[in-house]
Amino acid sequence: MPTIPLHPRPFAPSATAQGSNPLPPLLRTPSGLALLELQGDIRFPPTAAQASTQVGKLVFPLYSPDLNGEDDTKWMKRVYLYVGKNQRMAGEVKKLVKPFAVIRKRDVADSEDVVMGDAEATSTGEELEVVEIVKYKILFATRPEPVGGEVE
Amino acid sequence: MAAQQDEGGVPFAVAHDFQTFRLLELPAELVQLLEAPNPPPLSIKSLPPPASNRPSAQPAYAVLCTPSKSFHIRQVQTSNSVFVTQPTLDAHGNDVPTPTTCAIAACTATLELHPVDASAVASLEDALPLYDIISGEVDATHNGKSKAAVFADIPLSNGQCEQGWTEIVAFETSGSSYRPSVNTLRQVWSSINAAALAEGMKLDSQFLGYDLAELVREEGYPASLAQAVFGHLASAGQDTSGQWSCLDRRKVVSFVGRTLLQAKQGSAGHSIADFVEEWKDSLPEAWRGDADLMAIDGAYDNPTSTTIVARGNAASATAESVLPKATAAKGKWHERFAKTRKK
Repeated sequence: MPTIPLHPRPFAPSATAQGSNPLPPLLRTPSGLALLELQGDIRFPPTAAQASTQVGKLVFPLYSPDLNGEDDTKWMKRVYLYVGKNQRMAGEVKKLVKPFAVIRKRDVADSEDVVMGDAEATSTGEELEVVEIVKYKILFATRPEPVGGEVE
Repeated sequence: MAAQQDEGGVPFAVAHDFQTFRLLELPAELVQLLEAPNPPPLSIKSLPPPASNRPSAQPAYAVLCTPSKSFHIRQVQTSNSVFVTQPTLDAHGNDVPTPTTCAIAACTATLELHPVDASAVASLEDALPLYDIISGEVDATHNGKSKAAVFADIPLSNGQCEQGWTEIVAFETSGSSYRPSVNTLRQVWSSINAAALAEGMKLDSQFLGYDLAELVREEGYPASLAQAVFGHLASAGQDTSGQWSCLDRRKVVSFVGRTLLQAKQGSAGHSIADFVEEWKDSLPEAWRGDADLMAIDGAYDNPTSTTIVARGNAASATAESVLPKATAAKGKWHERFAKTRKK
């Protein structure tokens, strides 16, 4: 069976300007990718003209580097995800015991000029690449609870 | 840069069309490998679907390979929804586009890695036909596969495949790859030893392996087979890819003794004295004194106090071998057919 190359770096690394990633710095990666895990599914009526729908807000109530310093990690213990008008989930930022490599198919047309280091890889054209290594995730392990009114 | 949360939270959005990502759990050694400045290329190899005549139907599976290590890839369903998010600039109903965390993919399963420490020897013995030489005639079926093609079908890293390849003295010639029979090894060693003597080459110093292999080729043995013998017997740290070779004396003495003994047919046992004499005669002159049963400890039995016989079969001793005996028997049938068809 054909061997599929897994490139350790993305062909076209997309470095997001750090300033435009709204997550706390610990969760920022070169590609901007992060992981968020929650129980259940998020349901929403998609709005036709848009590519995405805002479903809620992430709040890091204890995150305050100005007060607690850059090295503070206690803020990781409490994260809220407000969904819609009436639901809130409580979660935390967890350091992954084993980091995840986020892998996607590489667009082979892009890599035509790239010299294949692996001589015996018999290519069907399918190639994979590691886009990011993510070491933390935002985890919401409990069911949502009902809340009302505005976020303080 | 402060997070947006002090202004009411980070907007969280979900994309309408999800992309496809896979999440692969990385053990610490892979994290190190991948984060280093010039990480090596990795690959994912799958086991080919089993041939229909194999009794044990092994399902195809995938293995992640670094240059020297391999890991089983096991898919694990997640009970939760795991989203891959990315920052976007969205103006959801607002006038001003705001940095937003947007879920762009959902993973219902993640991939775990489990190290594979297996030896490639069993797979190679399965894949490589025996190259035998009987009464001066080559008796071998051709698999039409290069070494690279054989490696591509073994779900182990290149490094592990190379180790197995060297261990069984495998070689590639004329578009096919083989493993030599004990009989072949005995004969090619004899040719190597004679050629080295004639050329005054000291085998445990740097010698031109390329030249010696050419001399052996003139005697009718593939040069790549001679090179495979040099690789199998190489002294520690020797670069086996260049023109120069250097053999480890103890490895040679043990190899020659075991090969001679295994090449002797019959389980009745042979005179120890005669065997040791033959062993001495097969070594470089200066090494005759090294021919001692201690050097092949574990590889022989003594049916009586004055006789000796090789212990077990030459090759596969690994418990993991799937069908060692059955395959060997089948191989012999193929070889007999080939012989009647040949020339």
